[in-house]
Amino acid sequence: MAPPAGKRVKGVQIFRPFIYGTTARPFDEKTNPKPPGVPDDHTHSWTVFVKGIDDVDITYWLRRVQFKLHESIPNHVRMVEGEKGKPFSISETGWGEFEITIRLYYVPESSEKPQTLYHHLRLHPYGRTEEEKETMRLNGGEVVSWTYEEQLFNEPYEAFYDILTSGAVAPSLSNTGGKGAKGKKDAQQQQQPSRSEGGVLDRSAMIPLTNRPGQPFSRETEQLEIKKLQEAMIKIERMTKQMTEDIRKKEAKQQELKADAAKAAAANAA
Amino acid sequence: MTSHDLRDVLNIPSDASAGPRPTKKQKTSAPRPNLKGLAREVQNLGGDNPIAIVPEVSIFKKRRVASRKPAARWELRAFTNSARADDGALLLRHWRRKTDDGCAPHGDSTLQDGEAQPGNGTSLDGEQKQQQSKAEVVEDSAYAKYNVQVQVPQYSEDQYHANLQNSDWTKEETDYLLGLVKEFDLRWTVIWDRYEFSPRVAGPNGDAATSTAVVPASSRPRTMEDLKARYYEVAAKMMAVQKAVQYMTGPEFQLYEMMQNFNPAQETARKEFALNRMARSKDEAREEESLLLEIKRILARTERFNEERRELYNRLDYPATDTDINSFKSSAGLQSLLQNLMNLDKSKKRKSIMAGPGDGVSPQTAVPGSAVSETGPGGGGGGHHRRESIAASASGNHRDSIAGTPATPVEPPPSATTGVGASKKKSSGGAQQVVERRKLTEQEEQIYGVTRHERLNPSGPTFRYEKINKLYSHKSGQQQQRITNALLELDIPPRLAMPTAAVTAQFEKLWSAVTALVDLRKVSDRLDSDIKVEEAKKAERDKVRAAKQSASGGGDGDLVPSVEKDNASERPPSRAGPAPGGEEKVAAGDGTAGGAAVAASVDSPTVIKEEQAGDKDKLGVASAAASRPGSSGAHKRSASVLSTTSDKSSKRQKK
Repeated sequence: MAPPAGKRVKGVQIFRPFIYGTTARPFDEKTNPKPPGVPDDHTHSWTVFVKGIDDVDITYWLRRVQFKLHESIPNHVRMVEGEKGKPFSISETGWGEFEITIRLYYVPESSEKPQTLYHHLRLHPYGRTEEEKETMRLNGGEVVSWTYEEQLFNEPYEAFYDILTSGAVAPSLSNTGGKGAKGKKDAQQQQQPSRSEGGVLDRSAMIPLTNRPGQPFSRETEQLEIKKLQEAMIKIERMTKQMTEDIRKKEAKQQELKADAAKAAAANAA
Repeated sequence: MTSHDLRDVLNIPSDASAGPRPTKKQKTSAPRPNLKGLAREVQNLGGDNPIAIVPEVSIFKKRRVASRKPAARWELRAFTNSARADDGALLLRHWRRKTDDGCAPHGDSTLQDGEAQPGNGTSLDGEQKQQQSKAEVVEDSAYAKYNVQVQVPQYSEDQYHANLQNSDWTKEETDYLLGLVKEFDLRWTVIWDRYEFSPRVAGPNGDAATSTAVVPASSRPRTMEDLKARYYEVAAKMMAVQKAVQYMTGPEFQLYEMMQNFNPAQETARKEFALNRMARSKDEAREEESLLLEIKRILARTERFNEERRELYNRLDYPATDTDINSFKSSAGLQSLLQNLMNLDKSKKRKSIMAGPGDGVSPQTAVPGSAVSETGPGGGGGGHHRRESIAASASGNHRDSIAGTPATPVEPPPSATTGVGASKKKSSGGAQQVVERRKLTEQEEQIYGVTRHERLNPSGPTFRYEKINKLYSHKSGQQQQRITNALLELDIPPRLAMPTAAVTAQFEKLWSAVTALVDLRKVSDRLDSDIKVEEAKKAERDKVRAAKQSASGGGDGDLVPSVEKDNASERPPSRAGPAPGGEEKVAAGDGTAGGAAVAASVDSPTVIKEEQAGDKDKLGVASAAASRPGSSGAHKRSASVLSTTSDKSSKRQKK
């Protein structure tokens, strides 16, 4: 760990969205043949990764990632160094699910301690309902367990603050090309077909506007989730209202009974 | 000009020398460029030097060539104005040059129309023609394009509920406002003038309409600023809804920011100020000017005064500390400092004054140390030290006040003997830091995900979801279970799909609502069980009463007091008298049923009564258990609920 460089920037929080998780596929003769040398009892191939949203480069703040796999896997603690523009990932084969410890090491400029995330490796379709499992099964047997997370840097050191707050090209300028030219639809389709509309700039904290296949996290998803939460909120409010009413009624009843009992007691005592 | 020419003009016969002259002259004049529009004679007047007259060449319009063509045809053409709302009902006509491309017979027909229309009495053929030509001829007014419509934000019902709720504005009024804005093209004075919103009183029947017409603007007069504020709020929010802030282009973002930062209070103040300024009299204006001058003078004087004072302070000698005094701020630090000073004192006594290893320390630390020694528990070293310390602290205080008083020092006095000075230094340093750092625009902050907070703890990296994890971990296991169950009921997954800032904020709201609900449920459960207990008791009472009525003092006698006692012990308020009296009453109540128990209680009230109470409680429970299974637990709980009262009663019994 580098010695603290300069001061922390007070009262500032910077976030960066990223995705971590696993993708697993069962071995299959046609679609996913078992490579030679894999033990017989292994049933799945899987990949664990940490990457930027919309596949943007995150190596400017994340230097390396340590994946701690199950002890039974040879060389189970693996360090993956950042490679510009590529996700941090490890591919393995296996037969069982377990919890993977993901340790994020930040760039030395940040002078921050590494942080830990936990992710459960999923090999088999999962979900709260059978339906969800079924949809997952239909997806060519591929089991996707991805988690969206936002890395917050509370009061970063000044050097790191500078890194985090520079380098992206503003959307208004992006039409004129350069490395951040993802603003316009056609330009983007020609240059970088993998970008979704509404463009995410390199080195920014932006979240794409719409979903695309393979990129399930966007403003759209966020809005959906907010809507869901709001609906739940309304439901809760209704329930609370009803509950308070019930309680009031019950209290009245209780009071009545108590008064009754008190009367009886008084009558008995007399 | 030469004499030759003059002679020539004046018809004076030339003398002998004139002979060779003309040739010479011709030589010189020949290459001279001929200015157009000037007679040669006039030009020659200039002689060798060119004339400084610039001839004005007046170009007249060329005479129109009388064209052989027949006169241009004009026609009376009908036109509509699409800017009108009457959908082309008004048909006006104007004279237009007939276009050449239109073929001749057609042009004739249109001309015919112009005549035919007022006449209106033509053949069927003519009418048909007229129809046809009208369809072609009727054109839009050239001025229709100036009818620009203002773009007013649109919102759906859902969007309104999600984003635009305002306690001060109903949806109807907002709709009305936006309608007016559209109608009057954002001309706020007109909008404000015409603004007469009255909420619909009853249903949409005719009565309501008339009543609203009778009582105009009864609800609340809105100022122009109110209207603007609301409109900008709606517009900005809808803008943000349609396009996330990060994706806005520069001008869009500027507009958005401007609308968002509209401050009605400031606008009102500004207008008022302007009005006042316009309304003041000449005398007032003069007075104001003189006052301003006065202020300027005062300010200048204070500045000079401050300057002088600062200089004076700088001259005052005091030990300057440039070392960090933070280590002496804690009590432990002070203690060590005290120790240091005492050691120093001793060594001073032993050694000479000048020597001593702590010499470097003493001038720097003496002042804070002395302040400590005065207030410190030990009272510092010897009397000598104390005297010194008092003096020092007095001066220290003095300096404190110095450090505190000047409000606008360019550089804080480097005394830094107290927390005030130190903190000031720090804060000024921080301010400098802020200035040095590159200032981010709001848009950049959005892009880079930078947010500012009052307090952030802890500093360092963390994850957004951590906050929600904390929400869970702050609850007990049982509560966690309840809350997760409640969330599952609501179909909220145990882990948020996208924990962004907005989502987590929403989740936190939901969370607090859910916890409140869970708490309510708990209260409700308790009430339920309580009611059950009460009901059971009532049933018992009824039973007892019935038994009492049937057989007074029978085998059931044991049961009667037990219930009574139970009731009495739990409901002290029912007993009106003071404790001993109440006790006796109960005892008397006992007496009615079983005499032996009464005798025992009289003999040794403390012990036996408790036993009795316990027994009877048991009895009561047992008897209750007969009528309702599993009630004992509920009974216990009710006891805990009423713990305050039952405690009181049990205390009384002990007494």
